[in-house]
Amino acid sequence: MSEAVAALETIGLGKRYGRRWGLRDCSVRLPAGRIAALVGPNGAGKSTLLRMAAGITRPSAGEVRVFGHSPQRQTVDVLRKIGYLDQERPLYRAFRVGQMLRFGERLNPNWDAMAAHGYLSELGIPGNAKVGKLSVGQQAQVAMAMCLAKQPALLLLDEPLAALDPVAREGLMHLLLGSVADGQTTVLLSSHAIADLATVCDYIIILSASRVLIADDLDYVLASHRLLVGSSQGASHAPAGVVVVARTSSERQIELLVRVEQPVTDPTWRVIEPTLEEIVLAYLREQSTGTLSEVRAGESVEGQQR
Amino acid sequence: MIEPAWRLQRLVFLVALVVVVAFAIWLAVTGSLQAAAWTTYNVTHHCVNVVATRNNCFALGQNYENLDRLARVNLGLAVAMPGLLGLVLGAPLVAREIEQGTNRLAWTQSITRTRWLLVKLCVGALGCCVVVGAMTPLLEWWTGAIHRGARVVPSLFDVSGFVAVSYVLFAFMLGAALGALIRRAGWAFAVGIPLYALARLGVQNFARPALVSPSTAAGFPANAWVLQSGYVPLGRSSPATGQTWESGYQLVANCESKIRAVSQADENRCIAQNKLHYLFQYQPSSHFWALQGVESAIFIGAAIVLLGVTVVAVRRWRT
Repeated sequence: MSEAVAALETIGLGKRYGRRWGLRDCSVRLPAGRIAALVGPNGAGKSTLLRMAAGITRPSAGEVRVFGHSPQRQTVDVLRKIGYLDQERPLYRAFRVGQMLRFGERLNPNWDAMAAHGYLSELGIPGNAKVGKLSVGQQAQVAMAMCLAKQPALLLLDEPLAALDPVAREGLMHLLLGSVADGQTTVLLSSHAIADLATVCDYIIILSASRVLIADDLDYVLASHRLLVGSSQGASHAPAGVVVVARTSSERQIELLVRVEQPVTDPTWRVIEPTLEEIVLAYLREQSTGTLSEVRAGESVEGQQR
Repeated sequence: MIEPAWRLQRLVFLVALVVVVAFAIWLAVTGSLQAAAWTTYNVTHHCVNVVATRNNCFALGQNYENLDRLARVNLGLAVAMPGLLGLVLGAPLVAREIEQGTNRLAWTQSITRTRWLLVKLCVGALGCCVVVGAMTPLLEWWTGAIHRGARVVPSLFDVSGFVAVSYVLFAFMLGAALGALIRRAGWAFAVGIPLYALARLGVQNFARPALVSPSTAAGFPANAWVLQSGYVPLGRSSPATGQTWESGYQLVANCESKIRAVSQADENRCIAQNKLHYLFQYQPSSHFWALQGVESAIFIGAAIVLLGVTVVAVRRWRT
């Protein structure tokens, strides 16, 4: 782990809503320059984490640091470094698009006015249109353009792709990648569109039921997971040296998603490299049914017919 | 930041302005009518000297009475105007942003919440002052046109001079502070009205009479706000310590019942026996500007305290 200051670091971060924890014991460290995906089912605490990083939700426990500073202080220094896209895409609906951009220009010293106008003309959104009259997707794009034009060091994007059609998704991702291509910007974006993320991100954080399941390099996550397929008769035990994340079994075969440290050589199992989507879904499915347990090597994998 | 701050408040501000202008025109029209009716009744037709026929004179009197009743309603509206205007503009200032979630946009730009808030408050407060300030000359003329007495008397006092500017600032800051605390513009407004009325009536009834030390006179003072009247000990201009303005009446009444007083002479004897004299305590018209100044200072001071409350509430806001 590098000694450089992390773009985002949380230590035991938690948020309680009444008696329910929205996020609990969240300790992640996002190195600068990464593009990180934050995935998890609804209510997993993704928005809560992003809001606490943006300084608009107060943690109930632990702390959060953006480039070593607390965003809770809301100093100009920290505010300048953060670009935050709220899930609800709040914009002043009575403003025209051009006025909305001018608002951003007045309030942000690093504002890239050329880029902001460029993005919107590229997306075909006229500057004199009333923000409130735009479609939900267009409003999302204006909100995104405002985040990018601010030129922050850390972009916190809450569901930037929601409410967008596939073409707009691609356009927005293109926009995002173009503006962070210099490697100076760290991005943390939450999304349900796992397939879209795989091509873009190089870091992944999986949240479920208000806990962190994985927070690591995407390459490492892909390399350290394998899909094992075996017949129901032959394969009754997981091979040695693996941690079973999830299992699905039918009458004929058993499928295991496992975490591995070294290659699996057990001949009773067919070894497949899983896609990111398969890994994420396996984690989330097991977590949501409450059966995620660290099954040790040699333990029985039977039971749970599905 | 000033331009977007203005743009955000413009709509509610323009609506308020339309209402205020309509009210100003209404005051100008009814005030002129009443001033004309007064002249007709008292001068042209010499009703006072009973030159015109009695019926005509009665009709003119009725006409004036009707306009005067209307003026009483208008005076109530004029007194309420700064409070309503301030609350209408102040309550949504922070609360509406929180309701619509736009505070999450504004408070994640590169300026501090405090600066954002101060600019918005300055723009709104300036707007309030301009509107009410523009109304004061009209109100000054209008209070003269409706012939309701000295400007130092409550109600007239509230719409004369410059004190209304401090009222609108106070109401504006009260609305903003409640909005920041309650986070709902409607509720902030609803809670603000009774609080504002309480503050105004409290100052008017308990503080204003003593803001400048009142004068006393033996005869009924003209052009003045009479605060108290009654028997007080000779050589004193107020009741003795531990006594109220009622105590003197009590002493005289006790004496009268003892001697079974029947005439004015008996009463005078009782007054003399108890070493009392009858006094009026009042604020004369000459205290008008001093009272306006001190009362304005009180409400502006309260507005500054509320400003502090608003800043703290906004800085502390988190979901």
